[in-house]
Amino acid sequence: MDIVVENLVQVFGEAPREVLALDRVSHRFPSERFTCILGPSGCGKSTMAQIVGGIEPYTSGTVTVGSDGQPLGTHSVMVWQQLNLFPWRTVIDNVAFGLEIRGVAKPERNERARRLIASVGLRGFEQHRPPQLSGGMRQRVALARALIMERPVMLMDEPFAALDAQTKIVMQEELVRIYERSKRTILFVTHAIDEAILLGDEVVVMTARPGRIKEVIPIDLPRPRSQEMVNTPAFGRLYDRALHLIREEVLNAMKQQEAMVG
Amino acid sequence: MAVRARTKSKTRRLAYLAAPYLVITAVLAAWEFAVRFNGIQPIFLPAPSSILKYLVVMILDGSLPYHLSITFLRIIAGFAVAGVTGIFVGVAMGMSRLAARLVDPWIAALYPLPKISLIPLLIIWLGTGETYKIVISAVTAFFPVAISTFSAIRQVDSGLIKAAKDLGAGVRQIQFKVVIPAALPGITSGLQLGMGVTIIMVVAAEMIGGSSDSGMGYLLIHAGQVMETEKVFAGLIALAIFGAVITGVQKRIDRLVAPWVEREH
Ligand SMILES: Nc1ncnc2c1ncn2[C@@H]1O[C@H](COP(=O)(O)OP(=O)(O)OP(=O)(O)O)[C@@H](O)[C@H]1O
Ligand SMILES: [Mg+2]
Repeated sequence: MDIVVENLVQVFGEAPREVLALDRVSHRFPSERFTCILGPSGCGKSTMAQIVGGIEPYTSGTVTVGSDGQPLGTHSVMVWQQLNLFPWRTVIDNVAFGLEIRGVAKPERNERARRLIASVGLRGFEQHRPPQLSGGMRQRVALARALIMERPVMLMDEPFAALDAQTKIVMQEELVRIYERSKRTILFVTHAIDEAILLGDEVVVMTARPGRIKEVIPIDLPRPRSQEMVNTPAFGRLYDRALHLIREEVLNAMKQQEAMVG
Repeated sequence: MAVRARTKSKTRRLAYLAAPYLVITAVLAAWEFAVRFNGIQPIFLPAPSSILKYLVVMILDGSLPYHLSITFLRIIAGFAVAGVTGIFVGVAMGMSRLAARLVDPWIAALYPLPKISLIPLLIIWLGTGETYKIVISAVTAFFPVAISTFSAIRQVDSGLIKAAKDLGAGVRQIQFKVVIPAALPGITSGLQLGMGVTIIMVVAAEMIGGSSDSGMGYLLIHAGQVMETEKVFAGLIALAIFGAVITGVQKRIDRLVAPWVEREH
């Protein structure tokens, strides 16, 4: 399912203190592709993901997901940076939440939730509550809660940013497996260059605020992807390219901040 | 070496556990000693042993259980009224901006008023019967319950609401499946505050001149008037234990209602 963004503008706040978060962003995120959005902090990555997901209203421009004219959010589901799990619900009730909302009967939704929980490696933790789990386990719950919706578009906002290095590698490989098995359109926000290249079919590099698209880097690494590819020359070339772009923007962002303070 | 360290820490732990009881015993012993041998008048400060004697007598003759259970029923009635109305108003304010706007000036005006100053007015309106005692305690407890409920609902993490919406929940579903459960810990702590002031107000109302011939407040004031200081102390001890039991039960209920909250105890 294609995601088409045209001349998207997002302004927060009122004049004269308004913040231009996104400035005429246009891009087509191709159907069934894994697109990573890479950019310095505060450049509007989360804002873009939330607009595409129908969570935030936007100032102007057009955003379409699919071609059936349904409102934004109908076809997508978000995996949040802060996870936003429901702490009073058990793991299984968190995962089954979307089905419960949809009115799916309890035995069926529990059955489906149980299968997904097993597939993200959490069998045996169905009756735990999120506060009793480690960070990586909670991340899996959040992933399962989104996957159960079976929506064609997944929006992922720095889902692995808070994980330790080992857990992150495991989760990345799991996400690659899920993606390669069940071709969905994935929009994956990250600030980690290696993560963006390892996971994505293309990497959209954004500028410092106001967020614009600086460059789109196609990632022609073969699939299935694996962590070992990080050491290949092809990966290294892509990494250097992205690093060069990002460095410019991070420096820009720092200059902006200095100017604001001074 | 390791073994010695362990036995040492074991005796330490024992001392740690026993310390408060040792201090209590020492204080009681000093008290008893001071009253018996330094000629303090029992009217001012009776010895612990005679307080204990009175306590036993009052339990056996049924007066303490009688007054305590009357007070308990009044507390439950006042608390129930305050809990139901407080939660209802707090939830309404939290869920509807209009309700919050309508109710807010009333709360702002009435909350700072010491509720005990309403007693004369309530006695004029309601007399000095049961209704008055329940109303004064319910009115007092209403505010902490309503205010805690309101702020608990307002402070629900907006991320949780957005996530629920993203997973397809409508307004009603968000209210009942997200906002209310997320606010539960705040609501139960409001109920705890409410219970505290209910106990205070029921006992105070029972004390007000001639308004009652039963309840712990009556027992205390009556014993005080005829200088039965032992009875006063016995009544205070009974009330203290009673309060501790109620608090304990409430904490246990909290843990049942909101088991996901990490607590200190
Ligand atoms: N609700 C809001 N109100 C006002 N300003 C906002 C709001 N949300 C975002 N902004 C501003 O818009 C800009 C972009 O924010 P956004 O969260 O999209 O950045 P980001 O690229 O996701 O950053 P990070 O990598 O740090 O998560 C920031 O300057 C932020 O301060
Ligand atoms: Mg962000």
